Amino acid sequence: MEARMRAITRVGTGQPARLIRLMGMVSFAFLAVGIFLWAFGKNPVRAYGEIFQGALGSTYGLTELLVKMTPFILCASATALPARIGLINVGAEGQLHTGALIATWGALTFGDLPRGILLPFLVILGFAGGAIWGSFSGALRTMVGLNETISTLLLNYVAVLLVEHYVHGPWKDPASFNWPFTAEFTEAARLPTFGSSRVHFGLVFALTAVVVLYLVLRKTRWGYEMRVIGDNAEAARRAGIPIGRYIVLTMFIGGGLAGLAGMAEVSAIQGRLRPGISTGFGYTGFLVSWLASHHPIGIVIMAFLLGVLALGGDMIQINLGLPYSTVNIIMALIFFIVLGSGQLKKMGA
Amino acid sequence: MRKRTKQTRMPLGVVGLIVVFLVSFGILLRGATAQEKKVPSKDEKLKVGFVYVGPRDDYGYNYAHDQGRLCMEKKLGWVETLHAENIPESADVERVMEQMIRQGAKLIFPTSYGYLDPAINVAKRHNDVIFMHAGGFKTAPNLGTYWAYIYNAMYLSGIAAGKLTKTNKLGFVAAHPIPQVLGNINALTLGARSVNPKVETHVVFTGGWYNPGKEAEAANSLVDLGVDVLTQHQDSPIAVVQTAEKRGVYAVGYHSKDLQKFAPKGWLTGASWNWCNLYADLAKEVKDGKWKGGHRRGGLETGYFELAPFGAAVPNDVRDMVMKKRKEILDGKYVVFQGPVKDNKGTLRVKAGEKPTFERIEQMDWFVEGVVGTVPK
Amino acid sequence: MFLFLQGVLTGAVRSETSVLYATLGETLGERAGITNLGMEGCMLMGACLGFVTMAHTDNLALSMMAAALAGGLSSLIHAFLVVTRRANQLASGLALMFFGLGVTGFIGRPYVGMKIRGLNELPIPYLSEIPFVGPILFTHDVLTYLTYLLTPLLWVFLFYTRWGLAVRAVGENRTVAYASGLRPSLIQYLAVFFGGMLAGLGGAHLSIAYTHMWVEGMTAGRGFIAVALVIFSMWHPLRGMLGTLLFGGAIAFQLQLQARGSRISPYILDMTPYLLTLAVLLLWGRTRKHAMPEGLKAVFEGVD
Repeated sequence: MEARMRAITRVGTGQPARLIRLMGMVSFAFLAVGIFLWAFGKNPVRAYGEIFQGALGSTYGLTELLVKMTPFILCASATALPARIGLINVGAEGQLHTGALIATWGALTFGDLPRGILLPFLVILGFAGGAIWGSFSGALRTMVGLNETISTLLLNYVAVLLVEHYVHGPWKDPASFNWPFTAEFTEAARLPTFGSSRVHFGLVFALTAVVVLYLVLRKTRWGYEMRVIGDNAEAARRAGIPIGRYIVLTMFIGGGLAGLAGMAEVSAIQGRLRPGISTGFGYTGFLVSWLASHHPIGIVIMAFLLGVLALGGDMIQINLGLPYSTVNIIMALIFFIVLGSGQLKKMGA
Repeated sequence: MRKRTKQTRMPLGVVGLIVVFLVSFGILLRGATAQEKKVPSKDEKLKVGFVYVGPRDDYGYNYAHDQGRLCMEKKLGWVETLHAENIPESADVERVMEQMIRQGAKLIFPTSYGYLDPAINVAKRHNDVIFMHAGGFKTAPNLGTYWAYIYNAMYLSGIAAGKLTKTNKLGFVAAHPIPQVLGNINALTLGARSVNPKVETHVVFTGGWYNPGKEAEAANSLVDLGVDVLTQHQDSPIAVVQTAEKRGVYAVGYHSKDLQKFAPKGWLTGASWNWCNLYADLAKEVKDGKWKGGHRRGGLETGYFELAPFGAAVPNDVRDMVMKKRKEILDGKYVVFQGPVKDNKGTLRVKAGEKPTFERIEQMDWFVEGVVGTVPK
Repeated sequence: MFLFLQGVLTGAVRSETSVLYATLGETLGERAGITNLGMEGCMLMGACLGFVTMAHTDNLALSMMAAALAGGLSSLIHAFLVVTRRANQLASGLALMFFGLGVTGFIGRPYVGMKIRGLNELPIPYLSEIPFVGPILFTHDVLTYLTYLLTPLLWVFLFYTRWGLAVRAVGENRTVAYASGLRPSLIQYLAVFFGGMLAGLGGAHLSIAYTHMWVEGMTAGRGFIAVALVIFSMWHPLRGMLGTLLFGGAIAFQLQLQARGSRISPYILDMTPYLLTLAVLLLWGRTRKHAMPEGLKAVFEGVD
């Protein structure tokens, strides 16, 4: 970790040549997309203008950026923690859904409890929902040796379908004309938002998660042991580190973080459970985490970058009639360049 | 297992740089675009925003709304429209509506059912903007809803289907078991059974509004079962209609009459939206300050939907039969879902002589007799 | 019952052709030690560019070539990043998925809702009249028939030819392969390229043959399923075909059940393919690890 931190400062100050080259490469990504747009008869300057204005041009844009970043950060943390010991958790999407599902169960069943009791309870339920789903894959990995990449991926689909089943079936709210919504949460079950914006308490969870992860990984024995497992599992085993326990535990906590994202989405944004609470947050989170090399602070920065592009995608659509996919191209090109620049040189492959 | 190179360099620096770069780039450009916007337009146009859940060329639900938008724009010179497509029913849609309002939209059409709550949230924040939600059941002072009883056209299509089926099996590829979908399945079945009591409608839910691969497979499964008329309620009817044509069975269209070109041989007829007049009326009302809100609904007489033209496969006597029923509905002599109507478990749902209100039809959560399937509970 | 089974099996073959192409492609790549999580992107490229070419030229052969090339060329980006630049395979693959999604969404936008001639089913005379087996195997389109050839071919190629041995050697250990006179990078590039071509063809099957339409994101996760099925099949083409049939069969099974008026919620039924795959994996869990190409362990097996 220390080596990493030093590396940051080195890249930041010590190597102007590399810095310039990188700036050049990123400009190249924008230029490439610009030419692409121009070739299709669109004005690239205006397109970029709209993209950046969408997120950074107004207070409203900035608050919405934070709303967008919240599930990104939580889902990326859900990927990053297991990744520290070499696990590939593709399942944040599913864990987010089960978190939302269990939290909704709490909100619908205990909606009459006073807020001071209900909300913390829902937070625990949301965490538990994701944690159970995640640790299930972890347990399969330790007990049966089932690859967690495949189990988390398959369980994503199951979790989304579970949510659909409940909102179309048992939890359908008769007061909502039999539409696939649960009943609205009581005021006590709503996670507070800041001011008149939609920025909600989930952001605090996200930032707390990042800080705690950073400290745990850096300062504690757990963090040290996880690093040992990640570096050399065989050595870790010989040193008596309980690898199996760490597998389940990291998947438990990681899943729980994604579950929190789901809980926040239903409790703060939607106010009820319904299909489509997530637009691939789990998968975006996965990408964020890998692009940040699972570094907590890198995750925040990457989430910021993706958030800006996502918000900008709507703007170029409304104002310029460009398809949203334009930002996917920009995103992909930037990733290609960051990946290709060797900065993310991966451990292992 | 993995080996970490000693000098793993963090991407932080890189990423940080990109961010700084982006921000400065943004600020630079912001000035340019901001100035561009300040130019006042001479004649104040009414800006109308449309939000679609799928692509607007789907020849389905979104296409119908978009055709309405384009037609309204053409009809009223003083209207300018904004639109956004593929907007999921998640937290995103609120932001899209907000951004439209920031662009000056005074009337917004959130056209997907899942947009209702977000639209109400945005409506609360912007008293000066009017929202018209498609198919909703809740209103607000500045949010009304609109819909049309398109199941009437499905009932009429059902007559043609019931007359032409040889296997007495109709296939329905449905997205989700929500009332509007169930209403169409039921109306089609009632129509078919009014001329051929042996007809049964087999229903498959795909669990999504837009998944062509799965829709095609559902349609194929139904044909394998012996179904010889296929219809659907999906946002994208193309896959099912083309599968019907490929497998050599009849197709009943839904959402758009323009679908006919995808099934030149097997096309019977179908239900087709026509939102043009309603959109133009609403825009006028908003411009003149006469908009009143509430639930706006329309039957066959309003022209908000229509029966699609018949295909070559429909013989004249069947056409006459359908047109006769159409006239009866127009004259108020027949009301679709008038009692007695039994569900497929034998319970009497609508008493003899009763004509259910639109609220009851829009809350439908049962299948009529003759439908093979269960509404998930 | 007989008809039901026939329906399920026919549906399995018909609907899973596209996934099978991607599965074969991914098998080839992973045998050479490269995971491509971006199969979804390659499939989209194939689906879109195949459709676009068809719309303009109305020439099937040309469209197939365009689709295969689109899939292959886009996967070369992945090859460059992970082979030459040694970037992380999972991150690069996912970026490739976004690339495919973005580029096809942009280029394909004007083609949404367009009508093309498309590829139709072509029942093979005589063979398709064999009871039970005939309808299941011989009432499909040319691209499906092609998989009957490609799957065993890939199997023979990988396990019984010198070139296949080279691919596997590189997948096991680059250094050793290099020492024995092979050119690991070239082989990996080629494996990824041909893998991408297969995925592109799979995408084209979806747009040109199966649905006759194009729409953004129409692969709906098939590329990811393919990656999962490769692990499921233990990097073996024949087992890969079995896996896709199992998966497709589960989908067809639940649709057939629904069409017959099942009382179970369609959302629960929809879980069948995923749960079934998991269940089969659980039964065979332990053996999997040994089948994995050594070179992939760095990607998939952090903890051992």
